[in-house]
Amino acid sequence: MEEIYDVVVIGGGMAGLGAAIRLAKEGCHVAVVSRGDPILCLSTGCIDVLASGENPLNGIANLPPQHPYHLVSAEFIKEALAYFLNEIALGGLPYVGSPEENRHVLTPLGVGKTTCLVPETMAASTAEKESRIHVISFAGLKDFYPSYIMARIPATDLSVYEAGPVSTMFLATQFETDEFLERFLNWLKGTDITADRIAIPAVLGWMRALEIKRMIEEETKRPVFEIPTLPPSVAGIRLHRTLKRRALDLGIQFYLGKPIETVEMAGHLVEAVTLESMGRPTRVNGNAFILATGSFVSGGLLSQREGVTEGVFRLPVFYPPDRATWFGENFFPPEHPIEDAGVLVDEEFRPRAVEIDNLFVAGSILAYARVLRYGCGHGMAIVTGQAAASSCLKYLKVAAQGDTCSRTV
Amino acid sequence: MSMKSKTDVIIIGGGATGCGIARDLALRGVPHYLLEEGDFARGATGACHGLLHSGARYAVSDSEAAKECIEENRILRRIGKKCIEQTGGLFVRLPGDSKKFRDRFLEKCEEVGIPTQILSPSRALEMVPSLNPELEEAVLVPDCSIDPFRLCLLNIVSSRRRGGVALIHHRVVDIVKERSRCVGVKALDLFTGQVKEIYGKIIINATGAWGDKTARLAGCDVPLTLSKGSLIITDHRLTNMVVNRLRPASNGDIIVPNEAVCVAGTTSVDVPDPDEARLEPWEMELLIQEASQLIPAFSRARIIRGYTGVRPLIRGGCEGDSRRISRSFRIIDHENGLISIIGGKLTTYRYMAEKVTDLVMDKLGLKAPCLTAEYPLEGQEELSGYPLSKRLENLNEIVCECELVGKREVEETVNRIGVRYISDIQHRTRLGMGPCQGGFCTYRALGIIHNMGRISIEESRYILKDFLQRRFRGIRPALWGAQLREEQLVEGIYLRILGLGEE
Repeated sequence: MEEIYDVVVIGGGMAGLGAAIRLAKEGCHVAVVSRGDPILCLSTGCIDVLASGENPLNGIANLPPQHPYHLVSAEFIKEALAYFLNEIALGGLPYVGSPEENRHVLTPLGVGKTTCLVPETMAASTAEKESRIHVISFAGLKDFYPSYIMARIPATDLSVYEAGPVSTMFLATQFETDEFLERFLNWLKGTDITADRIAIPAVLGWMRALEIKRMIEEETKRPVFEIPTLPPSVAGIRLHRTLKRRALDLGIQFYLGKPIETVEMAGHLVEAVTLESMGRPTRVNGNAFILATGSFVSGGLLSQREGVTEGVFRLPVFYPPDRATWFGENFFPPEHPIEDAGVLVDEEFRPRAVEIDNLFVAGSILAYARVLRYGCGHGMAIVTGQAAASSCLKYLKVAAQGDTCSRTV
Repeated sequence: MSMKSKTDVIIIGGGATGCGIARDLALRGVPHYLLEEGDFARGATGACHGLLHSGARYAVSDSEAAKECIEENRILRRIGKKCIEQTGGLFVRLPGDSKKFRDRFLEKCEEVGIPTQILSPSRALEMVPSLNPELEEAVLVPDCSIDPFRLCLLNIVSSRRRGGVALIHHRVVDIVKERSRCVGVKALDLFTGQVKEIYGKIIINATGAWGDKTARLAGCDVPLTLSKGSLIITDHRLTNMVVNRLRPASNGDIIVPNEAVCVAGTTSVDVPDPDEARLEPWEMELLIQEASQLIPAFSRARIIRGYTGVRPLIRGGCEGDSRRISRSFRIIDHENGLISIIGGKLTTYRYMAEKVTDLVMDKLGLKAPCLTAEYPLEGQEELSGYPLSKRLENLNEIVCECELVGKREVEETVNRIGVRYISDIQHRTRLGMGPCQGGFCTYRALGIIHNMGRISIEESRYILKDFLQRRFRGIRPALWGAQLREEQLVEGIYLRILGLGEE
């Protein structure tokens, strides 16, 4: 007999992995189908809940009524974020901050990025013009130009470590080796540092980052913080690796790198998705499905000259009909109606205007999410992922009672 | 405190015509200044197909322009090898296109002296495999692809080597008159805000579509019909030859390969103001549709950008149908020290410059023959044409991955021209000209300039935002599919990673 998962999650980003972990912890047998590394790997690793105002949770109340945040209560948002932070902390990646207080982390442009939950390696990050920072950079690192920071924050000092031609990924791997770390710490010993804090691009190893940060703090007797870099972003990849490892520990099955070829329906239910494979297509059966394939960049939404479509189930997609109005006239401010494009869902996160009982949708594929405009990417993905997971659980329980479909656990 | 300078001839406008006049004056030993509001080739020169016409396009409708084209085509192929790619061109006749027109076309080409060769469909498809396989036949003509920006730079090399001064990012804000004669100009340095006064015996207005606006500074009129032509660029070459439609000139019937990309256009719409001309959504649709008839793959190709140039046509006779206005040119002697040059084409820029310079020599009472057709453009040996081998030399320090531009190239360019705008570096290195349109490399290029200590924070902030706005306006009409996806990624990087816009 073919294996049937309780839930098949399509999409391995913030929303999908978050949902999968919650479902697995509730005892479900879960599969994640993902095309590859999610755009989470390109992100700063910081969790933006709402990047305007001082208190994101208060700000959410003022978002337009169609925003996906409004599908759940303020209590649920808090609970979902806390649940998520607990999971990644268990996975060895502690975060600091509160969804009720925005903070500003220093960016490679020398300005403050508004966010609220940050990895502990960025806890001491500060971007005020008056701050006294000592930036440590690496010669040959082409995507990090400390002069931007020095120009904006005048009291900044700079030291450059010679590590040959390097990328952020390569440096992170180097930092994991004791030999490199020792050499770096020795060099640091001979560096004259008088500033209040030390800033280093986010390359301090992969899962040892916090330990390495503390070693540097011990050496220099000052708070140290990481600056998130342009993609590929080590801080974003750390978050992804942590989530993925957590998912594997919970027994979640991954189907990676295989695009979905067909969707198999039985009446109002999705039965399976089949994946392109070297030999014959792989069939992944499920009692319920979560769609969290992201927006345009992730490939969840596809745009053509004629309009916008959803890539897996061909769900109805809301989008501004006239392509000439998709984008505003200017890059600044980023007021682009195309950001409203996405799948409309009911309060259970089921897609509207189609009759599919066992499909739930979460993350930036949702209509009106406006992730770039509001700066709510990871926060919204986490919250809607958890919400879709809990709707999905409810559905599975009812379905099991009604014996309309049998669960395998 | 303003700076004053004296010279003989002041040229306003750094397009092909202005730069060509500077070279011509230099070769005849006449001191001159050239003032350009943006970078070289900012107007119609830089916003065209980059096509060195064989003249065949005009053979039927305008034999005078056609004749000028083929003569200049021959000269430029001789003197400007490094900015011309001798692609050859095809005129393709599709089912339904008039055979009668084709007969007249061949007849007229012969009359004017444009060599043609009729090709069978299979022969044409061998030369350009992406052509519409339903074609009836094709005619081979000596069309070429030309880099208008490089052409301007090379003309300026001759000027500078002989003491000519060319100032970019200088806006002429006033023409100074003395006893109703034009004796000089006031130019505002857009970067420093300084006003420079330059005095000369003759002022040449070579500002193309801005010709009337410029002439008005001296109280003169220039009768112009402004006709915008929009073009679109694909992310790769779909053809290695110029491809034209064999029918009376119409929308979107020319596709030109240029460096790594392909340019298709144009439209023809009268506009009141050259600064307000934009590519409209319907033009995008129309151009894709028309180009797809010649090369079917165009309908699925990734369009990376669209732009509009404004043709300065001679007014009179054919209002409402700008395609029927002659593409020939006219020199207007305002008889007060100001000379305007209007009309014409990129292909005939040298000839236009020669005629203007002849008039200037006459006015100055000097005698020296025009030499611009005799000598190859100077400076070509330094223009490597960016061979791949050279780009790969510094692979570790590639700043722009799309066009393989290295850090050293950026630094050298900055040292050579000083830094004004990112676009100045783009034009000279092709940085940011690929699919991401500078989304990734701009931050790096500015970072390099920062590290060189060349700009202040205010300048850098202005340059980056200005660049992103301009870039966005160019790609906005092409935002769907892969280009939309990339744009959202770039937006995410600047807004959500770098925090730009949060200040």
